[in-house]
Amino acid sequence: MSFTRRELLCRGANGIGGLAIAAMAATSEHDRVLHPLAVQPTHHRARAKSVIFLYMDGGPSQVDTFDPKPRLAREHGKPLQIPMPPTQFNDNGNVMQSYWNFRKHGECGADVSELFPHVATCVDDLAIVRSMVADNSEHTAANYLMHTGFSMQGRPSMGSWVTYGLGSESQSLPGFVVLDSGLIPPGGMDNFGSGFLPAAYQGTLLRRGAKPIANVEPREASPEIQQEKLALLSRLNRGVLDRLGSVTELDATISNYELAFRMQSAVPGLADISGESKATLELYGIDKPETEAYGRQCLLARRLVERGVRFVEALTPALKGLDRWDQHGNLLEGHTRNAKATDKPVAGLLKDLKARGLLDQTLVVWGGEFGRTPMSQGGVGRDHNPFGFTMWLAGGGAKGGVTHGATDDYGYYAVENKVHVHDLHATILHLLGMDHKRLTFRFSGRDMRLTDVHGEVVRSILS
Amino acid sequence: MGATAAHVRVAFLLLPALALSAAAIDFDRARKFWSFQPIKDHPAPAVRNSKWVESSIDAFLLEKLESRGLAPAPPADRRTLIRRVTFDLTGLPPTPGDVAAFLADSSPKAFETVVERLLASPHYGERWGRHWLDLVRYAETDGHEFDVDKPNAWRYRDYVIRAFNNDVPYNRFVIEQLAGDLLPKDRVTGDIEEPTIATGFYWLGEVINTPVDTFQAIADRTDNQVDVIGKSLLGLTVACARCHDHKFDPIPTSDYYALAGFLESSRLRQAAVDSPARAVEIRGALAHLEGHPRAAGAPPVKDPSYEVFEGFDGVDFSTWTSTGLAFGSGPVSGIADSGRYSNNGQGILISKQFQIKKRYIHVRMAGGATVKLIADEYTNAGRILTGGDQFAWKTIDARMGVGNVGYLAIEDLDREQSVAVDQICFSDQKAPPPDRGENGIAPPPVPGATAPPSTFAMAATESLPKDAPIHIRGNHKTHGPAVPRRFLTVIGGENQPPISTGSGRLELARRITDTSNPLLARVIVNRVWKHHFGRGIVETVDNFGLTGEPPSHRELLDHLAYQFMAGGWSIKKLHRRMLLSSAYRMSSRPGGAADAADPLNKLLHRMPIRRLEAEAIRDSLLAVAGDLDRTLYGPSVPPYVSAFMDGRGKPKSGPIDGAGRRSIYIQVRRNYLTDMFLTFDYPLPITTIGRRGASTVPSQALWMMNSELIALQAERWACRVLDAVPAPEARVARLYEEAFGRSVLPEETREILAMASSLTARYGGEARAWADVCQVLMNTTEFIFIR
Repeated sequence: MSFTRRELLCRGANGIGGLAIAAMAATSEHDRVLHPLAVQPTHHRARAKSVIFLYMDGGPSQVDTFDPKPRLAREHGKPLQIPMPPTQFNDNGNVMQSYWNFRKHGECGADVSELFPHVATCVDDLAIVRSMVADNSEHTAANYLMHTGFSMQGRPSMGSWVTYGLGSESQSLPGFVVLDSGLIPPGGMDNFGSGFLPAAYQGTLLRRGAKPIANVEPREASPEIQQEKLALLSRLNRGVLDRLGSVTELDATISNYELAFRMQSAVPGLADISGESKATLELYGIDKPETEAYGRQCLLARRLVERGVRFVEALTPALKGLDRWDQHGNLLEGHTRNAKATDKPVAGLLKDLKARGLLDQTLVVWGGEFGRTPMSQGGVGRDHNPFGFTMWLAGGGAKGGVTHGATDDYGYYAVENKVHVHDLHATILHLLGMDHKRLTFRFSGRDMRLTDVHGEVVRSILS
Repeated sequence: MGATAAHVRVAFLLLPALALSAAAIDFDRARKFWSFQPIKDHPAPAVRNSKWVESSIDAFLLEKLESRGLAPAPPADRRTLIRRVTFDLTGLPPTPGDVAAFLADSSPKAFETVVERLLASPHYGERWGRHWLDLVRYAETDGHEFDVDKPNAWRYRDYVIRAFNNDVPYNRFVIEQLAGDLLPKDRVTGDIEEPTIATGFYWLGEVINTPVDTFQAIADRTDNQVDVIGKSLLGLTVACARCHDHKFDPIPTSDYYALAGFLESSRLRQAAVDSPARAVEIRGALAHLEGHPRAAGAPPVKDPSYEVFEGFDGVDFSTWTSTGLAFGSGPVSGIADSGRYSNNGQGILISKQFQIKKRYIHVRMAGGATVKLIADEYTNAGRILTGGDQFAWKTIDARMGVGNVGYLAIEDLDREQSVAVDQICFSDQKAPPPDRGENGIAPPPVPGATAPPSTFAMAATESLPKDAPIHIRGNHKTHGPAVPRRFLTVIGGENQPPISTGSGRLELARRITDTSNPLLARVIVNRVWKHHFGRGIVETVDNFGLTGEPPSHRELLDHLAYQFMAGGWSIKKLHRRMLLSSAYRMSSRPGGAADAADPLNKLLHRMPIRRLEAEAIRDSLLAVAGDLDRTLYGPSVPPYVSAFMDGRGKPKSGPIDGAGRRSIYIQVRRNYLTDMFLTFDYPLPITTIGRRGASTVPSQALWMMNSELIALQAERWACRVLDAVPAPEARVARLYEEAFGRSVLPEETREILAMASSLTARYGGEARAWADVCQVLMNTTEFIFIR
C-alpha cells in the first residue's frame, strides 16, 4: 500500500508490463493523497470556474419575492381551493396575499417585488427558476437535500463534491469555504461536511472576527519562533525518513505542513478588506449597519473566488429577533429585514463581479431550502413549502434575463418545467464542466453521486 | 461489473413484476459466488522457507510470495514491535517500562507475554470496542435539527467494551445485538444484565425531528437499520434492494422487506436492565411501603363525549407493560403510581398501541415525571406532559398524529420525582373533563433508607408482529404485497420456516449466527485482519458482494473463519493467531525488492506503515503528557465545543482536554462531533464504516501546530519532564522513550538542545522553550504513524 511516488514514477518509466499499469493507477491515487486540491481535468468545457452560493436559510417566500400571484389578492382570506398536504405546523389558515407590490424590471421585464430593489436592477443577468421542487417539509432534511442531494445526515456537501471533482486553483486556501455571520442552518455542520469523501474536501467555516478560521492563528509570540520549530520538525522528520524509508502518506504529511503554513499567512490577508476602495465598500453596503454583515460576506466571497477558491457559500446573516427567512409569523417584518440585509450586498456582488470580468466565470446561485405556503399560518405568516419555490442563478454560463418554469395560480405547486434540487445540482456541475453522472465516489458498494440516481441538466437556462 | 451482474440475474428490467422478481434470481447459480460458498478449512500449503512459518497464516502468505519469487520482510526490531502491538490492541503507546520489560525478556515467549498482557488489559476493550462502534453508527444524540439526547446510549458503548474485554463469543454477541431482550437475563456484570443493552444496536442512528411524514421517516430509519445489519454482520449492501432488486447481488427487494418486517415488529424503549439479583434487592428495599395509597382514584369519566382509554381500576396493569420496579405489580386505589413506595422508584409503563382517532388526549395526573405520547414512533415536546403537586387534567394535542398508531408511556426515570396517573381519555374537544378536585395526592413517602437505583438502557422491545409490505420503487406510499419475515434467501434458503414467535428477531439471530451462514465469520475475521495488517484480505471490508474486491488470500480467509468458528468464535484467540505469526512481526521498512514487484503490498510482503486514528492520536497526546485518566466506563464527557462548531441544539461545552478521559468516552453528539476527530477522519455516524480514511488535510497540520489542546498537552508534558529530569540531555532521552518508545540519536539530541537553548534565551526561561520542544515531537510523523 505504501511506497514512494518517486519509485513509482521510475518504475512506470521503465515500463514493467502489467506492473507499470498498476503503478500508474496508484500514482494518480497517491498524487491525490499528496495534493488533494490539485486541479483536475473537467469532463467538458467549463463555463464557470467557481460557485458562490448565497444561501437564504429558512426558506424565502416565492410569492413575496419573484413569483407574483394576483389570485392571492383576489382570494385573500378565503379557503384554498386546491389540495393542501400536511405542513410542518399543520396550522394552516386561508389564502394570504403578499404584503409587497411587484414591478417588472430590466429589459427582460422580470417580476421582482419591492423587497429587492437592488437585485431588481440586475435581472438581466439572472436566470430565475420559479419551478423549484424539493422533497422535504422540515428544514433540516431540506437543508441536507439542498446541500448534499440526500435528505439524511452525513453525505458530502455540493461544495465538497465540486472540490473533489475539480480541485481548487488556490493552494493556500481551502477549496470550499463557508462564510458565516453567526447563523448555521438547521442540520448544522453536516451541511458542509465531506461525508464519505476524504476530509480534504470538507467545508471550512470562515467566521467574522479576529480568528476567522479554526487554528489558523499561530500561538507563538513571533513568526521566527514558529519557523524555528517547523525547521526542527522538518529535520527530525527527515532524519527518520532517511533512516527508515518513506511512503507517500509520510511525504504527504510533511508537505501538508507547508500548505498549512501558507494558509496561516494567506488567511489574514484575505480577511483584511482595508485595501478595498470606499466605492467598493459602499457598493456592498458595508458602510451601513443594516447591510454591513452580509456585505462583508459577499465581498469576502468575491475575494475568495479571485484567489481561486472553488466553492463559496455565504450563509444568511443573523438578525436580532429573527429566525432566518423562516417566517411562520410576522412575515412582514421578517422578510422586510432579511431582504434589507441582503439585497444591496447581493446586487453589489453581482455588479462588482461583472465590473471585474469575474461574473462570466463565477456562477452565483441564490435561494433557500424551500419556499413558503400561499395560505397563511396564524394570519401573518407562511409555513414551509417544498412543492414550488424560486431560486436564481447568475453568471458562469447561466443565461441572463430568463424566467424558467411556473407554479400554479396560488404559487403553491410547480406545474411547468419543474426543476428538482437534483436538477439544480446537475446544472451547477454541468456549468463547472462536470457530468453529474460521471462525478462518482465508491461507497457502500455503489458509485455514489451528488445527484443519486436523478438529475437532468436544465438546458434552457444555459447561455 | 455490469456483465458480472448480468449472469447472476436479469430481473431488474422486470421491475414492475416485483412479486416475481425473487423467482427471477437464480439462487443456485448465485451461490457459486465465492462469498456465498460454504466455509471450508484448508490445510496450510507447503512452502520452501518453512522455518519462517510460526503460524498457519504464515504458510498461506508465504506460499503466494514464494510463487512470485518474493521473500517476506525481515523481522521488526523489538521496540517497533511493542509499539505496533500496543497501539493495535489498546490504542495507547507503550510506557517506557513496558518497552524495557520486553527488551529485557530473553524468553522465546517474550512477545507472547506482551500479547497476553495487552489482551488482558481493560484498555483492549476500549480499543476494539471503538472498532465495533464504527460499524453501528454509534452516537449519543439524534442529530437532525435539534440533536436531541439519546438517553443512556453510552450504556451500549460500555456494553461493547465489556463484551470485548470478556471475549464474549462472537456468535453470542451477535445474537445479543439482534435479540438480547428476548434472551434469559443470564449474562450479568455487577448489577446489570448485559443482553438487553446490546439491542441499543438498532437505535443508534439519526432520528428526524418532528417529521411531517412519519411513515417516510420510519421507512428511512428501517432502511438505515437494514443497511447496518447487512453491512456490519454480513458485508452485504442489502439496503440497495429497498427500491429495486439489488443490481449486483442476489438480493431481491422482497428480501429487503422480509428483513424490514422484523424491524417494524419491534420498537425502541428505555428498559430497566437490573440483574435479577439487583431487582430482588430493589424490590426488597421498596417493599415495606407496599400498598400505601397516596390518593384515591377519581370516579370514572361518564360524559359520552370522552372516550375512556384507561382508568386503572383493575388489580394489575392489564394491557400495559412495565419495566423497572416503581409501579409495582398493579395500580393502587385506581392509580398507576411510581411514587407508591417512594420517590426513589424508577420505572416505565407502556400502553398497548392504539389508533389515534381523536385529536386530544387527556391525562389526569400528578407528579414531576412524565406522560408521553409516542405516535408513529415519534415524540416531541408537545407530546410530553408533566404533572404538578395535585391531580389535574393535562392535555396532549395529537393533531399531527391523528390517524396514526401510537402508544402512551408513563415514565419516571428520576430518583427525586414520581408520577401518578388516574385516568386517560380521548376527545375531539380541547377541554378536558371537569375536575371536581375531590382528591389531592400525598407527596411520595421519603424512605428511611434509599432504595438502590435501577439501570436503564436503550433497547429493542416487541411491537405488534407484522410482515412488511413491499414499497414499490421504495415509495412508502405505494404498497405491494407483504413479505413474510425471513432471512436473506441466498443464505437462509428458499424454504425457511415461518416466524413463530413475536417479532421473530430471536429466530433471525439464530439463522444469522448459524455456522452454515458463509458470511458472518468471514466478515468479522476479515475485519480483525484489517485492523492488524492494515488492509483486509477482502479490501472492501463492508462489501463481500459482487462489487466488492475479491479476497487476496481466499484459502487463508476461509481457514481463519473455519478455525474461528471451531474455536468457539473467540475474538481473542483470533488475535493470538494473527499476532503470533511471523507475518505480524515483519518489518515495515519500504523500498525493498518486494516493493517493486508488489507495490500495493497486496501480498503482505512487509508490514504497512499506518497513521493512527483520531482517538489514538488524542489519547497519545494525553498519555505522554501524563494526564490520561485511565478510568473505565461511565457517562460520557461532553465534547469541547469550539467557536467553529455552531448551530441548533448546541450543547454546553465540555472541558478542552475531555477531563483527561480516553476519546471513546467523549460524548458522540451527531451535530457536534469533536472537530479534531473529524479532521483526522473519524467516521460519521451514518452507517457501517469498517474502513476509515487516512487523509492528509491542512487542518490536521494547523490543529497540531496551533490548537489549544496541543498547546496544553505540550505544556503539561514539558512541565512534568522538567521536574522529573533535570539534565537536558537525559530529558531529551526521556521524551523520546515516552513519545516513540526508542532511544534518541545523538544528532537528534543535538538539534533539540540547540532549539531549546535558543528558545530559553529568547523566552528568558525554560518552561516555554521545552513546551515548544514537546510540541515539535508531538508533530513529528513518528508520533502519529506506526511502523
